[in-house]
Amino acid sequence: MVAAKKHVPIVKKRSKGFMRHQSDRFMRVDSAWRKPKGIDNRVRRRFRGTLAMPSIGYGSNKKTRHMMPSGHKAFLVSNVKDVELLLMHNKTYAAEIAHNVSSRKRIEIIARAKQLSVKVTNAKAKVTTEV
Amino acid sequence: MASRPTVTIIGADGKATGTTEVLPKVFGAPIRPDIVKHVHTGMAKNKRQPYSVSEKAGHQTSAESWGTGRAVARIPRVSGGGTHRAGQAAFGNMCRSGRMFAPTKIWRKWHVKVNQGQKRFATASALAASAAAPLLMARGHQVSTVPEVPLVVDSAAFSGVNKTANALALLKAVGAGADVQKAKASKKLRAGKGKLRDRRHRQRRGPLVVYSAETDGKDLIKGFRNIPGVETSPVDALNLLQLAPGGHLGRFIVWTSAAIKELDAVYESKKGFQLPANVVAQADLTRLINSSEIQSVLRTPKGDAKTKRSNVQKKNPLRNKQVLLRLNPYAATFAKEKLGEIKEEGKPQRVPATFKTLLQE
Amino acid sequence: MSLSNVSADLIWEITRSHNSFLVKRKSGGGVQFSRDPLNLTNKHSRKYAGFVNDKAVGVVPGEKGGVVVTTKKAGSINKPAARYTVAFGANKTARKTYKAIARQVAGYRSDLLKAAVARASAIRRSQRAVKPEPAQKLRGNAAKKAAASA
Repeated sequence: MVAAKKHVPIVKKRSKGFMRHQSDRFMRVDSAWRKPKGIDNRVRRRFRGTLAMPSIGYGSNKKTRHMMPSGHKAFLVSNVKDVELLLMHNKTYAAEIAHNVSSRKRIEIIARAKQLSVKVTNAKAKVTTEV
Repeated sequence: MASRPTVTIIGADGKATGTTEVLPKVFGAPIRPDIVKHVHTGMAKNKRQPYSVSEKAGHQTSAESWGTGRAVARIPRVSGGGTHRAGQAAFGNMCRSGRMFAPTKIWRKWHVKVNQGQKRFATASALAASAAAPLLMARGHQVSTVPEVPLVVDSAAFSGVNKTANALALLKAVGAGADVQKAKASKKLRAGKGKLRDRRHRQRRGPLVVYSAETDGKDLIKGFRNIPGVETSPVDALNLLQLAPGGHLGRFIVWTSAAIKELDAVYESKKGFQLPANVVAQADLTRLINSSEIQSVLRTPKGDAKTKRSNVQKKNPLRNKQVLLRLNPYAATFAKEKLGEIKEEGKPQRVPATFKTLLQE
Repeated sequence: MSLSNVSADLIWEITRSHNSFLVKRKSGGGVQFSRDPLNLTNKHSRKYAGFVNDKAVGVVPGEKGGVVVTTKKAGSINKPAARYTVAFGANKTARKTYKAIARQVAGYRSDLLKAAVARASAIRRSQRAVKPEPAQKLRGNAAKKAAASA
């Protein structure tokens, strides 16, 4: 498995998620972010002590955007042919096997990835058994 | 164009017969994916059969609204009692067993009229695209074994292809075997309800065999009709749905030599139709730019061969030695002779008192 | 090119948004790759799009190891079967292989020289036998148990 290309340090400006307003008060309000639209909404009006709203300023450095902590970007693969696309990109992209690939085919994909020294992010899924 | 481009005719063994044919004028038509796409969407709708839900669906009840004052929504409710259905909401598209929103009608506008001129333009454009090997590859046809595009096969080779085995052998010999194989292997079960509605499988399209009904006869249809993905079409009835399936340009076409010979006559017989002309006579941009006509009227480029970069990052001269030397050439000698490390001998001398008074004046 | 109504520029504009070689993914910022055998980097771009350009280089693994270099014959864009292929066996040293590829590509499309050699190198590297992974060391309680039983 090769290490990723050298890159500027990945800085996440915020590690917490953005919670939807009042999702802490009601079961029926899911925490998935929804922009408050009400005319009197305190979160929308950015009152002190209220929840933070997502904005473009939280965006990551373009150089490290979509990067995993390893420095690779994920590329979804479903078969061996997809892995071979990464032949020249094994330092920037890592293969991620799609969820609906059987364990028999996963073994083939992982073996080919190893030959091409492509990192597989979920290499252990569905192929290892618990002892 | 002084000399019209030609195409070699391939024999039954897949080798050039030595004779060539002048490419028909249609192949010089402009390639316009936008027009082909638009015409295709219209034409593809003309084979549809009307469908709709029942006129009565959701309305077979005598529901009436209860009006206000009953603390329930004012939607029509099923009358009567003695059954669970009584009092349930009805009719609305939001109701269980109500009618759908805007029930489909059989008098929907199923068919689209496409102007004949547009259809002819699109057909000519699709034919021109079928002569460009890169577009065939981009469409997904397996043409890496094909000797030449457009693929013209000697009409004599089609004399015995009233049998499928002979037809398949001919396609294989002229290099179209891979595309047939691909179409055959691509047969998959359709996702969804289409399976129950006579659209059970989906599969890719293979080569289209274009023949001349007069000279080649219709026997070859029988030979090709059972090969998966392969279609046949007489040259005087070319169809855009076959020339550009899905509205995508570049169908792989196998021409009989009689068909390609007849193609010019087919277009000449279309009354009132002129083949579309190219807006730009030369599509190759590099050749255009490098042509003497354009180069002769261009001004010489301004500035030096190398342009100075703007927006360079400022470098700190205290850390970056090269930048420091640019600002202070003496720094090299200073560092070399280690002038910064020399200690002054003895104690520093006191400033004379006269200096202090001078300062305070 | 025989007809003046088609050119590589036009074909690229027609096919750049969708073609059979193109692989699009939404992850990783919407990356686009190409399955074209005549594409040296598998990147979807005008420079490397082998099926579009009049001249293109492809490097693929050979059947018995080594690499096979394919180039399009210039001026025969409409003759898909017209290809020029050279095979470099696995026994040839890497240095000689790269040198030969570089010599072949330099006079043909010098802008692809680096990419061609890089791809040949990557393919050769992938043909090496994969080292077996070292057995994982036991840690924690499992290690203690193993030590006790030994």
